[in-house]
Amino acid sequence: MTYLNMMTPGQSGRVVGFLDDTKMVRRLFELGIQPGRLIVYIRNAPFQDPLEIRIGSNSIILRKSEASLVAVELDK
Amino acid sequence: MTNQSTADSVKSVSTIAICGNPNCGKTTIFNGITGLNQRVANYPGVTVEKVYGRFSVGSTNKRTFNLVDIPGTYSLSAFSPDEDIAVAALIGSLKDNNVPDGIVCVLDATNFERSLAFLLQVLEIGCPTVVAVNMVDIAEKRGMKINFKKMSQALGGIRVVPVIGNHRVGIKELKEAVADLSNSHPKSVGINYGSETEHLIEKLSDKSNSRHRNRAEYLRVIFDADSPAEKRFLKEEPAIVDVLQKGRHRIREVHGSLSLTETGALSVKASKIFNQVVDIVSPAKTSKSERIDRVLLNPILGPIILLLTMVIVFQSIFSWAEPLMNLIDSSFGWLASQVQAVMPPGPLQSLLTDGIIGGVGSVLIFLPQIGILFLFIAILEDSGYMTRAAFLVDRLFRWCGLSGKSFIPLLSSFACSIPGILATRTIEDRKLRYITIMIAPLMTCSARLPIYAIMIAAFIPHITYLGIFNLQGIVLSSLYLLGIVVAIIVSFILKMVIFRTERGSFLMELPSYKVPTVHSVSIRVLNRAKSFLWRAGTVILAITIIVWALSYFPHDGDITKKFASQTEDVNLELKETTSIYSSSLEKFYNSAQLDVQNTVDNIRESFLVSKSIEELALIRSQMNQQYPELYNQIEALYEIRRHKLATEATLTELKNSEAGTHLRNSLLARIGKTIEPVFKPLGWDWKITMAILAAFPAREVAIATIGTVYNLGTETDEESLSLINKMRQARWEDGPRQGELVFTPAVALSIMVFFALCLQCGATVVTIRKETSSWWYAWGTFTYMTVLAYVLALGVYQFLEGFVN
Repeated sequence: MTYLNMMTPGQSGRVVGFLDDTKMVRRLFELGIQPGRLIVYIRNAPFQDPLEIRIGSNSIILRKSEASLVAVELDK
Repeated sequence: MTNQSTADSVKSVSTIAICGNPNCGKTTIFNGITGLNQRVANYPGVTVEKVYGRFSVGSTNKRTFNLVDIPGTYSLSAFSPDEDIAVAALIGSLKDNNVPDGIVCVLDATNFERSLAFLLQVLEIGCPTVVAVNMVDIAEKRGMKINFKKMSQALGGIRVVPVIGNHRVGIKELKEAVADLSNSHPKSVGINYGSETEHLIEKLSDKSNSRHRNRAEYLRVIFDADSPAEKRFLKEEPAIVDVLQKGRHRIREVHGSLSLTETGALSVKASKIFNQVVDIVSPAKTSKSERIDRVLLNPILGPIILLLTMVIVFQSIFSWAEPLMNLIDSSFGWLASQVQAVMPPGPLQSLLTDGIIGGVGSVLIFLPQIGILFLFIAILEDSGYMTRAAFLVDRLFRWCGLSGKSFIPLLSSFACSIPGILATRTIEDRKLRYITIMIAPLMTCSARLPIYAIMIAAFIPHITYLGIFNLQGIVLSSLYLLGIVVAIIVSFILKMVIFRTERGSFLMELPSYKVPTVHSVSIRVLNRAKSFLWRAGTVILAITIIVWALSYFPHDGDITKKFASQTEDVNLELKETTSIYSSSLEKFYNSAQLDVQNTVDNIRESFLVSKSIEELALIRSQMNQQYPELYNQIEALYEIRRHKLATEATLTELKNSEAGTHLRNSLLARIGKTIEPVFKPLGWDWKITMAILAAFPAREVAIATIGTVYNLGTETDEESLSLINKMRQARWEDGPRQGELVFTPAVALSIMVFFALCLQCGATVVTIRKETSSWWYAWGTFTYMTVLAYVLALGVYQFLEGFVN
């Protein structure tokens, strides 16, 4: 298991859970980052941060600090 | 509004709120329903913009509705204070604010499951609701079919209308569905939050005694811990805090997390409905947007394209706006001259021409630049590129304590800080937004350029280094850079000292690219231009009139009389001299032959062509060579013309000198002289001080003021050579430096540095006050900028003076 901010572009994995119980986590959930769903790490912005992920057919952009709240099981 | 429709509105105007996720096309549908019939207001006491419009349905039994555009939000659980106000207005939890009579909930078909979860939350309000499913065409292209009939059944029978907002498909049906809303009674769709939650809702509604609340309000209080919603509730029901805490504790025990209990229940239900009503015809493939993003978000190409886009935007702003600005300038000049022609001189004429026409002109002159900027921003926003730009620059801006979302507001501020400050509304984080507002006026706006242009042309030598670096260009770029560097330092300090904030957030959806529609772009541009004119226009006009009064009064009658008698003397002298030469000429002319008469006529004609004494002298010597026999007559004709020209020049001088004398005796000049000691260390005399004061309503006024005080009239602009010459020759009138030149390169630089940093714009101060709802931020920004301007201008001047000596 790893965290979303540790992944690299091109990797994919399933959401396992969250590190926190905050408003931020709630908003991540509402944007579709939900346990069991497949996340694809698309790209980094210049200077490696923020990052873009795809979940379903949605693209989400978020900072690494926010991504560090999401626990992910990498696809083999 | 007519009396008839007022009478109707009492009976039938219902308030309908339109809500949805960001990027769901809600605003396009809102524009489609209301057209240009829109108003912008703020929610009471806060700065959240409330856009509303009216529309009518039916031809025989016409009914009018008030449609309120609720800002886009991903859920009813507010993420920022501004979102909280919008959501609270929707669910009716604000004081004196009932739930709307109906709700239009816009769903994004291309983002269907998430939209459904939001809809389920909205349905908990228990208010009659119509569902608009937008962008069904794109969803179908992507291989997804929605069964709207099944969907309506799954949602307890509410109306579901498929819509293609940007092609205006389904708008009519949507309006009709809204008109039918009063007959519909929503049924619960049954979301299972667990028995602990239901139990808590029951307990809260039993114990609360102030008023009836809908389910959505209780859900917000329960699930949004430490939120404004909770605070509002506990203020009304302070006794229930224990019940609430215990209930929440129980939910956490059973479900592990408080906030995810609600979102989990919603997503379970949403995904159930999704599977019931959606047929996936073909799996999604790499979308067009992703292919575009491979180029536009490429780590190397992306920033280059962004930079190029900005260069193109700014090039266009300045080159396209130029002819329009000249047109506005000359039309207002023409208008003023017409008024001068028909009105007798006096305070009223001066108020109309210099105060009102000049004031309105000085606002309108910026409209072309701002309109073009708004046009580009609207196109870039509607296409989806703006979010990408924020993505690209976020890291860079974070180093300065800002976020990618500050990019557009600061960019706009290079044209004018007012639209820039208005554009900060997209920044959810309040502290970040205030920092952005407070540094936006440091960006070099277009009103500073005329002052830079004339100071640089007059006092910065035209020297080129290494063949390409021109000193004048270097100074101009340095002034732009100065604003940016100071802004970075200030934002850093603000973040460290005043707005000590936890990490800001940057979390949003990347919308698909769309082709912007003319309709939606033009409504955006029109609304923003209107709001600029209204906000900036009224303030600038008011301050212009105040400054006009200060520079007009007391308007000493003795001065006017003195100049009137001088003018009379000059005219009289002209008459006398002319008549002496004319009579001798007349005698010769009458006794001369016909051909000699013709020659004299021709010579007279040639003299009349001349417009200056030098030109005249040239013609005179030519004529004397050609007709030596007519020497006396040529001399007489020459003298008549010379006196005429000299008198005209004297009269213009007298007129300008009268205006200058009045200005030098005005209240404004007295203020300038009184506070001269304050600005003396910056190298300024009272005339410069006065011009800076006069420039407070709008910076560009400084040039016209300097022009008048140096007796050149108001018709001076940044290319005026006579103004440059006058400034170069101006000397100190008294004091220890009497006789020395006023303007040196050091003084010019201290003036420019002061202009670069000072918040000399009343309209910006008022806009900051309106956007932050606090005079503290408005005067705070004004004060820190003025102090910085003074200190740096002082430093520059003293350093250069010391350097020279």
